[in-house]
Amino acid sequence: MRIVILSSSVYSESACAMAVRMSELRHVPVGALALSTFDRGTLLRKVGQWGVREVARYARAKLIPHRGNGQPQLRNPCLEPLLKHQGGVFLSLREVAAVHGFPIALCNEQNAPDSITRLKEWSPDLIIFTGGNILRKQLLEVPRLGALNVHLGLLPEIRGMSSPEWSLLQHVPVGITIHFMDAGIDTGPILQRYEFPHAPQCESLSDLRNRLIAFGIEKAAEVVAGLDRGTIAGTPQSDLDEDHQFFVMHDWLRARAAERLTQSHLAAVPGTVNG
Amino acid sequence: MNGGKDKAMTGQIAKALTEAAGLLRGPQRMIPLIQKLVFDKARVTFEQRHLYSYTTSRLDSGEELTSLLHWILDAQRPDGGIAAYYSLLTGYSESYPEVTGYIVPTLYDFARSAADDRAAAAAEQATRWLLSLQMPTGAFPAGLHSSGAQPSVFNTGQILQGLVRAHAETNRPEILRASVAAGDWLVKVQQADGSWSGPGAYQDVAHTYYSMVAWALAELSECTAGPRHDQNDHGNMDYGLAAERNLDWVLSHFKPNGWIDGINLRSHPNYLHFIAYVLQGVLECATLRRRSDAIQTVAKSAWVLLRKFETNKYLPGAYEADFKDGHRFTCLTGNAQMACVWLRLFEVTDDLRYLNAALKMNEMLKQLIPARGLRGMVGGVSGSYPIWGRYQPLRYISWGCKFFADALLLEQRLTRSFDASTVEALPCAS
Repeated sequence: MRIVILSSSVYSESACAMAVRMSELRHVPVGALALSTFDRGTLLRKVGQWGVREVARYARAKLIPHRGNGQPQLRNPCLEPLLKHQGGVFLSLREVAAVHGFPIALCNEQNAPDSITRLKEWSPDLIIFTGGNILRKQLLEVPRLGALNVHLGLLPEIRGMSSPEWSLLQHVPVGITIHFMDAGIDTGPILQRYEFPHAPQCESLSDLRNRLIAFGIEKAAEVVAGLDRGTIAGTPQSDLDEDHQFFVMHDWLRARAAERLTQSHLAAVPGTVNG
Repeated sequence: MNGGKDKAMTGQIAKALTEAAGLLRGPQRMIPLIQKLVFDKARVTFEQRHLYSYTTSRLDSGEELTSLLHWILDAQRPDGGIAAYYSLLTGYSESYPEVTGYIVPTLYDFARSAADDRAAAAAEQATRWLLSLQMPTGAFPAGLHSSGAQPSVFNTGQILQGLVRAHAETNRPEILRASVAAGDWLVKVQQADGSWSGPGAYQDVAHTYYSMVAWALAELSECTAGPRHDQNDHGNMDYGLAAERNLDWVLSHFKPNGWIDGINLRSHPNYLHFIAYVLQGVLECATLRRRSDAIQTVAKSAWVLLRKFETNKYLPGAYEADFKDGHRFTCLTGNAQMACVWLRLFEVTDDLRYLNAALKMNEMLKQLIPARGLRGMVGGVSGSYPIWGRYQPLRYISWGCKFFADALLLEQRLTRSFDASTVEALPCAS
């Protein structure tokens, strides 16, 4: 299967891990299209998502990759098993590409005509989206099978952003959905839904997110194998009339979602008395 | 036709020149005016909005609320009325009966929330002034205190809200009598279709934002219900029915895409302030009259605006029909009103997305309240952001403070009750 990875940056750990996992499955990507890291939009988006301090810490980790003890520094430690390589870890898609032998293209906008032309040259069966722009129709029509996304919430109940946090507050099971993308936000046909059984073991919201991302990559590998064998097909979402879209969660509500997680964590840890 | 347009244009130019001349009488306002213009220009230029962003102010809601209320108390004139605005050109305006009326509930809410006697005293002083303005018909006059004495449906409705609340707080019979007289006049001049048009209506035509009047009548209906007011039983029934007649008329102007026709302001765009008025009036009237159909209709429009706010991180100050072509300024009052609508919808529906949007809106508004400057600026809500925007340019307006204070008071109440219900839901809570 000819796979192309779309990434928000060459330094995206999720994109690196996804490329490694696909390569392990003998689906070495035919290419990766990443947004330029120093693009103004990318930087602003990351500052908005993580905050200035976290972006600075991330940049330091990528530029000075080893801690004092010589250990590699990853933003998501749950991806370490996938990213381990020759005593270190992959820190960029360039390193993964060099080992597995696939080309990387940089762009400032994934929907731009140049990007579409490059994608068409690679003639993909499947695009795997790990981050970047909201994809437009012209791009979505390039791959033979479609563009696949790992959404960190169960569809159709939780669409949009801050999905793990909203799942906690809406009393919807925490999980992931692997789906084909369409012009809407998380409205495309569903390939598989997986509840995440380890949410009560998570100590914080960021721990939950990190584990969900790793869980999603693992499950994406299963789905890609199924697509390759022709045993999995997308199922259109049933209740698109209902508005299940959620937006970035305000800090006050995030703190309440974190409390819910802590309660379930306390309840799950043996020997802990609730309250 | 063109003569009318020319006359209106001449009037606007004359008004602008008079306002600008105000700066000669108050040259101390020159530097703060320039500072504010530069500050807003810089902010508009460098501000970044994207899908993941929302404004975080880290300002405490309680402190911000106190600052807003200080602005309102400072704007109270010696006659007891509240000034309409503080202009960076002309200073404080005359007392404004309409706004004074509907600021009364906000003052009482704040007095209760912060145990602040000054707010309650200000509400009582404002009520005394309002009672002195009532016309023999029961109506209240249009415009600023000094500007003629035409009866106004909208102002009477807005003042009625304040009187109903003042009576609930003080139980004074003269306030109830004034409320009933105002309610009777409103019912008397209402059209058969439920609207208010002709003399007494702004520009003589019917407006959907008069749903605020329906809300006031629904409140009067509640206030006059029960055995203590047997003498008003007939009137009581009329107020509630009159409110619902207007509600039905307003609901007939909602379109399937959430847009509301019939705001009907000649020579003005559809400011967000008036769109939000329609929604607030219908929502509150519907809640009092237990009309779930109307609540659902409001929720649909409120959701359209919520999606726009969440996606673009701001709401334009005015829209063309069908929410098209949003203008490039923000009407802060309308934003605060939308926060109120979303918070009340959260209360009614338990949908946390309304609370989420309102929290972000309040954060954004907090950032735009000056902490330093002249007395009429500190704690004030400007008509527009940037301050030269089309809605009430270069002014800090009292009704902006009122609605933002309402939004923060609602936020405080609902977040506390959310936390309390969460604690109750814990298995260890008894």
